[in-house]
Amino acid sequence: MKVIALYVLRLPEDKETKDDSKVEILCEADDADNEVGYIKRSAFRDFMKFSTRTIALRTDEGGMQMVEDAGYKMHVLRPVDGKRIVGAAVTDPEYPDRVAQGLLSKLTKDFLEEVPEENFGNRAKITFPAIHSMLRKYQDPKEADPIMKVQKDLDETKIILHKTIESVLDRGEKLDNLVDRSNALSSQTKMFYKTAKKQNSCCVVM
Amino acid sequence: MPVQDRTVEFKACVDSIRNRSPAPSRLQAEAKQRLLQNGEREVRKSDFSRMAGAIGRDISSTTIKLGKLAQLAKRKTLFDDRPVEISELSSIIKQDIAKINHQIAALKAHLGGAQQQSKGTSAEKQINEHNNNVLMLLQTKLADTSVGFKDVLELRTQNLKESKERTDQFISSTAAAVRQTPQNSLLFGGQGKRDPMGDGSARDVKGKGRALPDNDMLALDLDAAEGGFGGQSQQMQLVEQQDTYIQSRATAIESIESTIAELGQIFSQLATMVAEQRETVQRIDADTIDIAENVSGAQRELLKYYASISSNRWLMLKVFGVLIVFFLVFILVS
Repeated sequence: MKVIALYVLRLPEDKETKDDSKVEILCEADDADNEVGYIKRSAFRDFMKFSTRTIALRTDEGGMQMVEDAGYKMHVLRPVDGKRIVGAAVTDPEYPDRVAQGLLSKLTKDFLEEVPEENFGNRAKITFPAIHSMLRKYQDPKEADPIMKVQKDLDETKIILHKTIESVLDRGEKLDNLVDRSNALSSQTKMFYKTAKKQNSCCVVM
Repeated sequence: MPVQDRTVEFKACVDSIRNRSPAPSRLQAEAKQRLLQNGEREVRKSDFSRMAGAIGRDISSTTIKLGKLAQLAKRKTLFDDRPVEISELSSIIKQDIAKINHQIAALKAHLGGAQQQSKGTSAEKQINEHNNNVLMLLQTKLADTSVGFKDVLELRTQNLKESKERTDQFISSTAAAVRQTPQNSLLFGGQGKRDPMGDGSARDVKGKGRALPDNDMLALDLDAAEGGFGGQSQQMQLVEQQDTYIQSRATAIESIESTIAELGQIFSQLATMVAEQRETVQRIDADTIDIAENVSGAQRELLKYYASISSNRWLMLKVFGVLIVFFLVFILVS
């Protein structure tokens, strides 16, 4: 389960265009080096960029879309009031959709907060190193997404509690054992005491 | 039950039979002339009656389809809805109504042309009046069909709204409010449009042409209603996308909630088991105290006994002396 790439795209001014080369990539981070071999790398990058741009062109404001194709899932989110900014992520098919959408909304929100709008036209001025750290962090969705983290902690706690209950049952068994034994010992010592007492009081010599 | 309008065909038959009956011989020339004129007019009339008959047949078939659509739209089941059939059928009916509209317009134009050629004799005036009456009859029939179609569409949207509300009850979602406003704006706004098709020819005939612009307006209203419906389903799709995300979050959070509830249950079970074991521990405690007491008591007795034995030495010496005497006696004897 991993995230292959993250992109921040900017849609062109012309709303009706279907030409995806007009969509600018403002910021990108990808893990394609670990995903495909050296020869396929550039073609793979082109594939990812093309598909995310195409989907972004057809996304309305406030819309989120997911397309599964060629063994990868492309998630696209266009925030409301986003100034034509679109966040896109390429993941493998097992990655949970909800976490991907959460990642994209966080990405777009941080990007809009950190990078001022006038830099949008100038790619060189945009510095957003957080995109790389986000890509790394979200490789394991169970750690990054708070809901999944809580769920994981709860599951661990449940396992621990099951073990506790088992040990409590064992303790009960041992306690039962102890009760029986102490009962027996108690009766034995009572006999001992009676015998010792009888020694003293009865026939003087024998 | 659709009523088949065959009066025009009947009239055509009656006219043709009358013209076939023999005329008196002295008026044969006049009759021939009249026949010729009748023939011409018959040609026109049979044209007219043919077209009118075709229109009447179309209207009847459209009414049958409308009945089927009404049947389908009345179904209020939540799951067995057949939207594809319903939309297909409604589009077919709309096309039919438009076609009939065109046919009636063509017939009217044809009739208008024929009337201009008429000479103004009383017989022809009657014929013209009859033709206009037939035309108006066809138009009213078409208007009735269109009204019925509109009612069926309204019923269908009503049922759709109800079924959506019912699904919302099962999958309660905050986007329900957003979904309902498009319905209000597009569907009901469409009914407010009154834009006649720019039908200038309708105003010629003195008041008998009123039916035609009504038909056009009704057809346009249906178009607006259908278009509004399509746009509304588009908006619902967008809202449903966000719905999916929100729903998945909601299910994840619900599973967390159930896990926490389970944990709570496990904790209380644990507490119960430990409380049960407390009693056992108390029994063990009591038993251990008894044991300690018994053992210490027994030790006391033994000490007393030991003390008594060691203090009773004289008695013991005496006892032992007697024993030794007996022993010696036995040895001396043997």
